[in-house]
Amino acid sequence: MIRALGIVLLACAGVAQAQTTPDALALLRRIYEATEKLSYNGTFVYQQGNRAETSRITRLAGRDVERLEVLDGTPREIIRTRDTVKCYLPESRTVKISRRGDRRAFPALLPERLSDLARHYTITRGETVRIAGYDCETVVLTPKDDLRYGYKLWADTGSGMLLKARAFDDKGATVEQFTFTQLAIGGVTRDKVKSRHAAGGWRVEDASDAPASLAEAGWRVAAELPGFRKVIEVTRKLGESRPVSQVVYSDGLAAVSVFIEPLAGRAEPVHPGPSSLGAVNIYTRQIADHVVTVVGEAPAASVHRIANTVEYRRPQ
Amino acid sequence: MKSKISELMDGELGRDEAKGPLAALGEEGEAREAWRVYHLISDSLRETGVLSAGFAQRVAARLAEEATVMAPLREEARPMPRHWFALSAAASIAAVALVGWLAFAPQQGAVPGAQLAQVPQAQPVAAQAIRPVAVVKEPAQVPPPAGAADYLFAHQGYSPRNSLLGVAPYVRSVSGESTPPKP
Repeated sequence: MIRALGIVLLACAGVAQAQTTPDALALLRRIYEATEKLSYNGTFVYQQGNRAETSRITRLAGRDVERLEVLDGTPREIIRTRDTVKCYLPESRTVKISRRGDRRAFPALLPERLSDLARHYTITRGETVRIAGYDCETVVLTPKDDLRYGYKLWADTGSGMLLKARAFDDKGATVEQFTFTQLAIGGVTRDKVKSRHAAGGWRVEDASDAPASLAEAGWRVAAELPGFRKVIEVTRKLGESRPVSQVVYSDGLAAVSVFIEPLAGRAEPVHPGPSSLGAVNIYTRQIADHVVTVVGEAPAASVHRIANTVEYRRPQ
Repeated sequence: MKSKISELMDGELGRDEAKGPLAALGEEGEAREAWRVYHLISDSLRETGVLSAGFAQRVAARLAEEATVMAPLREEARPMPRHWFALSAAASIAAVALVGWLAFAPQQGAVPGAQLAQVPQAQPVAAQAIRPVAVVKEPAQVPPPAGAADYLFAHQGYSPRNSLLGVAPYVRSVSGESTPPKP
């Protein structure tokens, strides 16, 4: 009897622990607003598997421009504006451009949607620690199932600026991590967000997208993963102008893309099966003379499950 | 019975009618003797080339070797036709082996028991070929697709995490672009 009572008490304690708290949601909102409103310049380390890479990031909030420059190896660079992302690869003298075709369809994490996240994650506050000289508060998003990764975020107590972000799997192991080693808030001028590459005469790979319908082309993706819903469906070109269709599913935080492209004209062999790049899992299938590549910041099993639902029926 | 065997060979017996003669062929006796003789006669009449000695064993051995070819069925999309192909292919070869043995056993003059032990192995081989298909749950990792960075670049624009991390996650799409991964 006493033992049963103990178990009930323990269970209650467990439930009490596993609940999203309003102050944790408030911190998440602060991080979101800081990312939107602050101008900053800093250096961060991206860790994935046994690889660590240092980059500089600069944001000019007034013009909504961000610049990322990889400091290790060749100086690869990414410039992001509100609807365009340009990726400069000096080694191959290539600039990749991605322009959003439908500006309304920006699957941003909207502040009013933050509380929706609590359906799939338990959002709680963690300890206070110091990162890169800033006192940081922490928020932990623990997934309620094994279909998504968990996240821990460290934000400056004063400004709400995100100083560190860690994604972890169901065993608590880190799958990838961003950590600022140095950060200066404010004082960013326009020239700091300009590309250092003139890119004259470089090869341009335009991956700009346009709205599309896969169903009309005979494709069916029944992504029935709980919490993941379709956010957008586009066509675009990848690499050396390979036409692809792309459907994106998201639970509000993690996203999974399904790419479908014709097999014809592919120079490289297709390897069906799972692969991974850090927190990003990939699953490749070959269906009806097409290559289906599912790419997502979700556990391998989730990416595999979405890949398995892709079907093709010749349109009538 | 001999006339029934003759009719069976000519394909003149119905499904039920064939049951008796087939059962009789299952063991050494008058029926099997007739089967051998009739095949020898028909082969002689048609001048069919005589197969080399040990043909049945070699077919069985080849079957055992080739069994793994049928294993890497991973996709759940259309497993049935391939299973049936694997089964029917194995069964056809097994049938050929059986006929070959029945027809040429007298010429080879070998101990029938030894060959009888060889031939039925064709069946377990087919079973082995199918079993791993059911067991494979987590397929083996493959190298990331060519142009994985392109997929990441296209995917990243639609990740809601950008709202918390800004442009930082884009580093994935250029990560290791020029430097080979560390061992």
